[in-house]
Amino acid sequence: MKNSLLTTVFFSEILKGLALTFKTLFVRPVTRRYPLVKPVVAPGFRGLHALAKDDDGKMKCVGCGLCGAYCPSQCIHIYTEEGEDNKKIVERYEIDILRCIFCGFCVEACPFGAISLSEHYEYSNYSREPFYMTKEKLLDNWDKYFPGEKGARYYREFWRPMSEDFRGHEGQAMFSRIPGTIKAGTKAGGKE
Amino acid sequence: MNDLMALPLSYLRSLGFIGQLILILAKIAVVFVVTLLHVAYATYWERKVIAHMQLRLGPREVGPYGLFQPFADGIKLFFKEDIIPATSDKPIFYLAPVIFFVSALTSLAVLPFFDGFVVADINIGLLFLLAMSSLGAYGIVMSGWSSGSKYSFLGGLRSASQVISYEIAMGLSLVGVMIMSGSLNLTEIVRSQHAYPTGAFIIPQVLGFFVFMMAMFAETNRLPFDLPEAESELVAGYFTEYSGFRFAMFFLGEYTGMLIMSSTATICFLGGWTLPGFVTNALPFLNVVPGIVWFLMKVYFFMFFYYWIRATLPRYRYDQLMAIGWKLLIPIALANIVITGTLKIMGWL
Repeated sequence: MKNSLLTTVFFSEILKGLALTFKTLFVRPVTRRYPLVKPVVAPGFRGLHALAKDDDGKMKCVGCGLCGAYCPSQCIHIYTEEGEDNKKIVERYEIDILRCIFCGFCVEACPFGAISLSEHYEYSNYSREPFYMTKEKLLDNWDKYFPGEKGARYYREFWRPMSEDFRGHEGQAMFSRIPGTIKAGTKAGGKE
Repeated sequence: MNDLMALPLSYLRSLGFIGQLILILAKIAVVFVVTLLHVAYATYWERKVIAHMQLRLGPREVGPYGLFQPFADGIKLFFKEDIIPATSDKPIFYLAPVIFFVSALTSLAVLPFFDGFVVADINIGLLFLLAMSSLGAYGIVMSGWSSGSKYSFLGGLRSASQVISYEIAMGLSLVGVMIMSGSLNLTEIVRSQHAYPTGAFIIPQVLGFFVFMMAMFAETNRLPFDLPEAESELVAGYFTEYSGFRFAMFFLGEYTGMLIMSSTATICFLGGWTLPGFVTNALPFLNVVPGIVWFLMKVYFFMFFYYWIRATLPRYRYDQLMAIGWKLLIPIALANIVITGTLKIMGWL
């Protein structure tokens, strides 16, 4: 608006501002009273990490190291060993939560849906030590934050790995434990 | 209430000097306590009102709806460490908040809160108010000078220039009221307003009221004229180096100053504790309500206006501040005096 003499004399712009603030006085505040009223966590929220367990209660992780390779902040450390029958054993699986940026790439990278991000976000503490997640703590988190059907539902809805729906061509070398792997002799799937 | 008080009051008066002294001390105690409680809750309401104007909630944690927040703040300020800067000029540093606070509280002595209740019913009440409000500026200037900090120094300088500029406008804006009522006694000013057809001087003195409102904001260093304590430029301005109870004295002084300016506006322009005659004639039951209620309602309106302006307007630039003071308010106030004086001589007022 042009600053005419009338608007200057009668402070029309200041009065408009006053009207706005007075109207806002009766608008419901947007403040969330957080510690008293907890916000509803959206499904698929990226909170504290957990290592998924299968139906037998065994860790799903095979120690391939893809999550650690993908991790942009390089906070996942995996140490594996050779066990009996030349089996690969995940000796240590550690996440430095204080370095984690909760991007969720580890979840996307995992071919087995073995790592997951829970809805839990209230884990502040007074020292750094509790934020260094070991394998035991991460497996514990699974029992704590994905009890019962919840873990399965999360697997279905939010972090079903790409490999689940992957169809390779015949004879392609693939992880034997990927469920969708085509057995030799069946017809090749995938895109035409 | 007045009938109930009449007997002990007349008894005290009959005791002579001692009785008068007790009466005055009791009045001072009442005014002091009530004012400080008002100041405490003025801070609470300021935080609440501004918070809601900004879609926030304001204090809510201490007590129900955060109602004990002022006391929590007060206790915190009492027990805080009192830090004196090494480079400060100690005696002046100690004296400045006292001057500021005392000059604010002294003004309370001449304010008539309702009919007949005034600690010191002096004939130059309005002049006394103006004198005390400018004395408070000494506290600000001294604190700015003695702190030994550039922020305080700049705040003090700004305050000095601002108060000098706006005091003229404020004094001139009240001259119209003086002309119309023919008195400097605040009780007399209210009485003459009650006798006036409009019941308040705001109608004939609208120019004076406008100038007084602007000068009122500048005198109490409130937004949009809070250059002496501009947070974003000067940390806290003149009281940057103060902590603990010395800071609390500046804080209390500022809010007491707001209350006094609101009361002055109420007394000089809105008819103090009275309602306009045409309102009480139309609705006679309003005569039952004690005058203090109307007085406080008018004062609360001005206090709310302080908060409202603070939530709405940004700070003026320094040259804008000076331009408004010297090029706008003082000419308007002078014109108001000329018009009011002319009308008075012609006998139209």
